[in-house]
Amino acid sequence: MTAISLSAIEKSFGTTSVLNGINLDIADGEFLTLVGPSGCGKSTLLRILAGLEAPSSGEVVIGGQTVNAVRPARRNLAMVFQSYALYPHLTVLQNMMTPLKLRDLSLTGRLPLLGPVFARGQYRAIVEQVRETAQILKIGHLLDRKPGQLSGGQRQRAALGRAMVRKPVAFLMDEPLSNLDAALRIHMRSELAELHRSLKTTFVYVTHDQAEALTMSDRMAVMMDGEILQLGAPHTVYNDPQDIRVAEFVGAPRINLLPGSLDNNGYARCGEIVLSRAATQGVVGSVSIGLRPEHLSLCEKGTPEALSGQVVHKENLGADIYLHVSVLNGSQRLVVRVSPHEGQGASFGQTVHVIREHGRALVFGKDGKRLDIRTAGTGNVAEVA
Amino acid sequence: MQTAKAHWWFVGPALFLMVVILLMPIAIAGALSFTSYSLGNPGAEFVGLENYEKIFTRSTYEKMFGATFRYVFVVVPLSVGLGLGAALLINSTRRFGDLYKTIYFLPVMAALIAMAIVWEFAFHPTIGIVNSTLERGCGSFLESWSWFAHGCERGFPLWLTDRDYAIWTVAFIGVWQGFGFNMVLYLAGLTSVPRELYHAAEMDGAETAWDRFRLVTWPMLGPTTVFVVTISFIRSFQVFDTVEAFYPQGGGPSKSVYVMMFAIYEKAIQQNLMGIGAAITVVFLAFVMFLTLMQRWIVERRVHYT
Ligand SMILES: Nc1ncnc2c1ncn2[C@@H]1O[C@H](COP(=O)(O)OP(=O)(O)O)[C@@H](O)[C@H]1O
Ligand SMILES: [Mg+2]
Repeated sequence: MTAISLSAIEKSFGTTSVLNGINLDIADGEFLTLVGPSGCGKSTLLRILAGLEAPSSGEVVIGGQTVNAVRPARRNLAMVFQSYALYPHLTVLQNMMTPLKLRDLSLTGRLPLLGPVFARGQYRAIVEQVRETAQILKIGHLLDRKPGQLSGGQRQRAALGRAMVRKPVAFLMDEPLSNLDAALRIHMRSELAELHRSLKTTFVYVTHDQAEALTMSDRMAVMMDGEILQLGAPHTVYNDPQDIRVAEFVGAPRINLLPGSLDNNGYARCGEIVLSRAATQGVVGSVSIGLRPEHLSLCEKGTPEALSGQVVHKENLGADIYLHVSVLNGSQRLVVRVSPHEGQGASFGQTVHVIREHGRALVFGKDGKRLDIRTAGTGNVAEVA
Repeated sequence: MQTAKAHWWFVGPALFLMVVILLMPIAIAGALSFTSYSLGNPGAEFVGLENYEKIFTRSTYEKMFGATFRYVFVVVPLSVGLGLGAALLINSTRRFGDLYKTIYFLPVMAALIAMAIVWEFAFHPTIGIVNSTLERGCGSFLESWSWFAHGCERGFPLWLTDRDYAIWTVAFIGVWQGFGFNMVLYLAGLTSVPRELYHAAEMDGAETAWDRFRLVTWPMLGPTTVFVVTISFIRSFQVFDTVEAFYPQGGGPSKSVYVMMFAIYEKAIQQNLMGIGAAITVVFLAFVMFLTLMQRWIVERRVHYT
């Protein structure tokens, strides 16, 4: 079931257009990530969905209803801001009570001092609800503190708590982890994913970090320059990118791109290397051949189709070692993932030989679109893969 | 040792200037307040607390405190309230904001002595615009208000020279003159309210402007408000030029506008009674000091959200 649907959303600030016709259907209960480099319009899209920004054109539909004319407070969405936007003069308890008070209490019930007397029963229910949520987020002991007295991670939880106390149609999160330190960020990834599983509510999550998108989402939408380039499950986007920009953006370290050309038979070649699969459309000309670091490995000297070059840099991550190898007479750099055992011997300046795993290369045409390459039945180049 | 005295060369000049320029005058005023010194006299008699006793017993000074506190407790709330209101309105308009800012700030920039002439005209009983405007209302529904009917029958008050109205009229001019300053301070305070808080409030269901004001604007303006209120208090305690312009002699009808600054001026400068003038000054400084300490205490206690 579609919970939220955005169709033909365009947005421009003055003359600069930020979003160019975004279409996006978000299923009920799914964890959808909008990922893209800074300034590509992710936050703008999220704010249009929330209603904090009006689209220049296009339609926002939530639960089957067009909500373009509905104000944010009535859309029943909850948002976690990058800066958390907690009310600094209120304690965590009061912060988390705010959405419930504003929605459930009458004007008299909201009066300062007198409110809690008039609406005592409701107040007790609200506090109870807040305490339950705080228990889930493990911030029960922080309820009496003000945001200024909390660490970044605790503030993040408090902001999450404020969003969670009521039952919104969807949670919107704008880079909620980007102000945390690296270790906590990685920890929170799994915690947020678990939270999503237990709440079973729709999450729309904005991030510039492709690792967050890959690890947490059911589906991810890669945005660039105000467009969604590709929408799909993380493994599809990673293994089957339809655009060279998606291939470059998703995956760390970045995919290696070698300049190549397509011969008359549709085989992509780069120097010695000739791919065993041929493009189905008969495009001839220059292409880019993409090889992920994990699809490259070291080999013996003299192996056919190997690329040789010098190690110019070695990144040791403990479990993996990334070797940066300068190939094709120093014009290109390849990043190769090797095991610590393999990489031990390789040292700076040493010449190594790199071979690719067959059948993994991605070929992109001049326009950046992925070319479909298949193992052809006939061919005048010997099949290797 | 030479080096042991080096620090005096660093702090010395500043310390010297501070003592001479800031502390000495206060100390001298304090010392004078225990004497019956007048300028030109060769010596002065030590009179102990006599000057202070006069201040707290004589009816002239009772009137002085009365006028001062009436003025202060009208001007402070109104000029702060209007300043905040104007700032919120200007902040919410897209267009002409700068124009409004300039207009409301004009009274602050204009010299009050000059503006006093304009006000004197406006409040003139026969040719003044205030009373002639009020007279036009005669015969309309406004007459159902008994004060207004009375004015139509017997003539509207002589705003500046009626002892029942003078201090309130002067206070009104004080509000007119002062709220633009508070507005500017509040406008500065408003720019530092994070916009995301308003968005968070909207997402939390704050639909009315009042809800957003209660939840975000007012608390976030807390530090500004404390500052604005303190400044307004001190400025109102210091009111002098309006009184001097309207009533160069004697502090208004039956001394009903005899504010503290004017009393100091009259005693110490006009009548050359330095002792009593100094004593009023010390009382005045005590008020200001008290307000400043209150401000610091409130700021440290409540409005800092670190
Ligand atoms: N209120 C605004 N006025 C003008 N330009 C804006 C405004 N908000 C965002 N932009 C521009 O829109 C683009 C996208 O911004 P944003 O959606 O915040 O990007 P991000 O993907 O980093 O979240 C940026 O180039 C930014 O400068
Ligand atoms: Mg952003």
